Amino acid sequence: MMRSSCLKVLAVGALLLGLVSCGGSSGGEAGFPRSKTLYLAGSQWGDPNTFNPLVENWQAAWPVNDRFNLMYEPLITYNSLNGKFEPLLGTLVSSDPDKVVVDINPAAKWSDGQPVTSADVKFVFEIGRRFRNAATAFAIDFTKEILAEKLENGGERLTFVVNKESRNNPLVILDHLQAIRIVPAHVFEKLLSDNGNDLSAVQKLKIDKDPVVTGPYNLENYTNERIVLKRRADYWGNDVLYGGKEPAPEFIIHPIYKNNDHFAIALQQGKLDASQTFMPRIWLKKKDGVKTWYDDAPYFVPGTMPLLVINTTKAPLNDKNFRRAMAAAINYNDIKELAVSNYASDLEPGLIMNQGLEKKFFSAEDAAEFGVKHDPELAKKILADAGYKSVLKADGTLDHMLDKNGNRLPTLSIMVPAGWSDWEAMVKLAEKSLRAAGIDVREGPVDAGIYWSSHGPGNFDIVMRKLAENVTPSLPWGRFEAVMSTRNWLPVGGDNWMSENQGRYNQPGTPEYRPEVDSLLKAIPTISDEAQLAAAYRELNKIFMQDQPVIPLCYLPEQFYQFSAKQWKNWPTSDNPYAPPLLPWVGASTKILWNLQLAK
Amino acid sequence: MKILKNLLKSPMFIIGAGLFFGTLLIALIGPIVYNMTMDRVGAQYAAPGGGYLLGLDDLGRDYVSLLLSGLRSSLYVGFLAGIIATTIGTLIGIYGGFRGGLVDDLLNMMTNLFVVIPQLVILILISASLQEGRSLTLIGVIIGLTGWTWSARAVRAQASALKSKDHISLAKLNGDNTLRVLLVHILPYIFSYVFMVFIIQVASGILSESAISMIGLGPLDTVSLGTILNQAKNTGALGDGVWWAFMPATATITVIVFALYLLNTSMDGVFNPRLRK
Amino acid sequence: MLKQYPTLRFILMRGGWYFITFLVAVTINFYLPRLGKHNPVDIIMGKSGSGMSTEDARIKEEMYLQEFGLVKVSGSGATREIVRDSEGKPVRTTGFEQFVTYIGMCLKGDLGTSFQKYPKKVVDVIKEAVPWTLALQIPTIICGWIVGNVLGAMAAYRRGIFDKVFFPFALGLSAFPFFVFGMLLVYFFAVGFHWFPAMGGYANNVIPSFSFEFFSSAAHHYVLPFFSIFLILAGGQAIGMRSMGIYELGTDYIKYAKWLGLKESKVLAYLFRNAMLPQITGLALSLGVMIGGALITEMIFSYPGLGMAMLTAIQNNDYPMIQGVTLIITTSVLIANFTVDVLIGFLDPRVKAGLQIGKGN
Repeated sequence: MMRSSCLKVLAVGALLLGLVSCGGSSGGEAGFPRSKTLYLAGSQWGDPNTFNPLVENWQAAWPVNDRFNLMYEPLITYNSLNGKFEPLLGTLVSSDPDKVVVDINPAAKWSDGQPVTSADVKFVFEIGRRFRNAATAFAIDFTKEILAEKLENGGERLTFVVNKESRNNPLVILDHLQAIRIVPAHVFEKLLSDNGNDLSAVQKLKIDKDPVVTGPYNLENYTNERIVLKRRADYWGNDVLYGGKEPAPEFIIHPIYKNNDHFAIALQQGKLDASQTFMPRIWLKKKDGVKTWYDDAPYFVPGTMPLLVINTTKAPLNDKNFRRAMAAAINYNDIKELAVSNYASDLEPGLIMNQGLEKKFFSAEDAAEFGVKHDPELAKKILADAGYKSVLKADGTLDHMLDKNGNRLPTLSIMVPAGWSDWEAMVKLAEKSLRAAGIDVREGPVDAGIYWSSHGPGNFDIVMRKLAENVTPSLPWGRFEAVMSTRNWLPVGGDNWMSENQGRYNQPGTPEYRPEVDSLLKAIPTISDEAQLAAAYRELNKIFMQDQPVIPLCYLPEQFYQFSAKQWKNWPTSDNPYAPPLLPWVGASTKILWNLQLAK
Repeated sequence: MKILKNLLKSPMFIIGAGLFFGTLLIALIGPIVYNMTMDRVGAQYAAPGGGYLLGLDDLGRDYVSLLLSGLRSSLYVGFLAGIIATTIGTLIGIYGGFRGGLVDDLLNMMTNLFVVIPQLVILILISASLQEGRSLTLIGVIIGLTGWTWSARAVRAQASALKSKDHISLAKLNGDNTLRVLLVHILPYIFSYVFMVFIIQVASGILSESAISMIGLGPLDTVSLGTILNQAKNTGALGDGVWWAFMPATATITVIVFALYLLNTSMDGVFNPRLRK
Repeated sequence: MLKQYPTLRFILMRGGWYFITFLVAVTINFYLPRLGKHNPVDIIMGKSGSGMSTEDARIKEEMYLQEFGLVKVSGSGATREIVRDSEGKPVRTTGFEQFVTYIGMCLKGDLGTSFQKYPKKVVDVIKEAVPWTLALQIPTIICGWIVGNVLGAMAAYRRGIFDKVFFPFALGLSAFPFFVFGMLLVYFFAVGFHWFPAMGGYANNVIPSFSFEFFSSAAHHYVLPFFSIFLILAGGQAIGMRSMGIYELGTDYIKYAKWLGLKESKVLAYLFRNAMLPQITGLALSLGVMIGGALITEMIFSYPGLGMAMLTAIQNNDYPMIQGVTLIITTSVLIANFTVDVLIGFLDPRVKAGLQIGKGN
């Protein structure tokens, strides 16, 4: 009896699985034919929760979050390859220390047929005046007001008046113009009045049913496994910007994978056309058609630098000699080679890259004079000169450190989000070389929750961060601002949330305070003379190298731009650099969509 | 003695014990015999050979050293979790099974509570509140504290079956207190059973550690077999055909757990007369 | 009063205990995450980007505190105001006040809004994910359980060559870490041979609906995750059943039954029924670890389900989401256990006997 029922179960099971496999292999082109679909991945990792453009960046789903311009578009885009501004909803006319002028493209239209007007621009740029907690409320600190005038061609000219009283920073206005996407004022004003003028009620709406957009694509449908966009036949820009052409793919699908490996597998199998995820050892994947900007190392264009933010209020990290010793102890070459698969050129001292658009501000002379490179002996010498002592164990490994008064120093922890494998590898390698030089640090991986809640109040010794991730018009100023500005200086702890300089460098009112840091940070955005600007950057970078408030670890690309030409060809590369090395969904790279061709 | 003699007659026991004590021996004397190093010694994922028997990991470290250290961690976690889980499980199971009634119901409720509160919640919460984060010991303790429910139920069933045995009733009539009855009259009868439960708990402790590490919640203070596998997964070793990143660690886990299962089964056979014929 | 209906009394008693367990579990699951010192709003602030002035950060932080019911509020609609103390700082709600609100909402079927998946409702997250978790786990666990037990029972009873080959194989299978097994399945059958897809619950080009395309695609994606759990589970169950079978073969009642000269088939029927009992308990318990186990499967196959939602919720102190997921786990595990308890009450002669005599208390 037992045996026959067992056989029955097995037989039924086998039959079912057989059916399943047959059924599966015949399934196919039902919804979105491969030849009409572009698969892009790496932006959306969790469930898509909302497509509301008024919520915080991290809350909205792709492509409403971040700077993506497939659905909602900014006024202009920034080409991170040549530093030029390209027109989109508007055209940049001029920019000077007092104002930035942009003409609205007279052809620009919402998907409901309404023209894009100054009212739309004002809605999102000035929302902070009505709702101080709006996601784009920060814009009013930079733009005092937006003056609109009608032009003869029917369009409008917008003058963004620099808010001199507040931030006095036309550079960041340029950042905003290419990052803040314009939303339809007529739609959201109505929603606001329907909801008793309560912004948080409107923020709860998902805006996922036929949203009113200006972009070339609109939301078709979405599940927790993927987001589908469909090409808009009546996109205003096809005629004006692309000579009557349509974007090649009818659909864009963003699959949501939970495992880093899956992006590489999908790309190798031709199920994905491009991905911005970190894939180690890309040269091994070449044979399966995975391509990058350069065919050989460093494969990518550097754009950002992950760094160790140091809590400068805590002994011994409050001593710049100690921080410089740390910078000299770290083996940057190991980090480059092992943690990031050689995807970058060698790191230079300082906070300015010797690469790309920033190169003109980089001074090799200063780097040699004021900066430190990997040199364990130098690290030990700096420590010894400053009176620090490393106490070793019997087996020659580090036990603890003593300060100049002979007091034992605590072990310092480098906070890193547990499970971010490439970051953890960088920190592990840094830890190893720091300890080898006699500096008592330990890797401190923490869960995401602790990581995100610790850096604002400064609850850390050393924390790994990637600041100024996007290549924007304000670089490298934006990077200096993020690590050195004392504009919002608050002491460590409690509810004291600081969104820049979280290491509390350069505390005002103390004897070590260097006011020139803040005055340079204030001055640079309004300097228009190139030579003057270079001098100011040189000075700022010199101070950075002397004080070493943070320690950059390597150069990384703005985006890991990896693509496969199996389905779609004519992607930009170093040989055909018609767009910056970014996936066709952001900045000046969206034009790739109009240039792609079917491979077969 | 007789039991041991019988055990030694079982080939299953010999193989199981051989494998288990073999790995134990490797874990103990490996680090003395082998020149262990946790430093970078070569290129990322350098293939086996060239002086390094099992190749190098993503940070250029020697896999033999990593595996030796991982093996020690995994055995430590397994035994720690096994001891905690078996102790709690046995005490609760034996007491509840023997006493019955309200006490049994309350203990049963407690057992159910530990089934329904996810291990991950406890693990993440406790590690978040500790300065040093998730240590290997903490993980062992938490696996032990959350993994005993199964042994409590198993032991309870045994104890409750013994309850109505004559000699127990006699002891009760003699006025022996509960503790004495439990320790003198019940525990010896189910001791072999408890020991087998312990072996299974050690095995599942080792598997649990590797599963927890796989999710990315593994020990932060040391290398374990689970963290080696997690590292291999996170750095895309599988996709690039780097088999030495995960096969040796997998084999090590499988061998220890397999050996423990063999031991358990062979003891089962010896304590169970029918098997001997 | 119910003395004359021992079975009903037994069921009610058990049910009562499970209900109390449920209440205690819900309370613990509510308070546990709140014991941590990390404020969920700080996590949100950390993600909300840079460029905020101190004043803006404070305003934003208060908005979230209010939104998530972590501070006291007076008024309603657009006139809501945060209640402040003498220093102007918002007055936080106590854990107990939040608990009362939570229970009130639960009774109305509202599990609140997720902090991390804002503005998504916890109920919606669960509704989307649970069918996938159940569809993967229930058939896998049940098939693995049945196949494993049948094979184990056969091995116990028949012994000989079947046992000698089958047993070490099953033992080896159950000793193998199941996530590596899953990874190897992907490597060989998806990357190597292209027989099955490597990831996802269905192809990206189909729309989830009641269509043939969707179901065949989902079935095709089902195969590898299914086998990754099924084989190892069946191996483990087989070993358990084999030992239990052998164990029961050696017990007094079997010897007694044999001595009495009962028919072999009758003895065997007793044997399997009793050997089965711990295995049924095991089945109920394995439902408890289902969601945790699903998490690893979800990671390895990018499969939809509740595991990932639970992990990120715990890591980010997303209270409503943790409460929602643990509520689902608690309810399903307790129901499964209750069912098994009742079932065993009917199946196990020992428990049955206890019932009929009455426990005297």
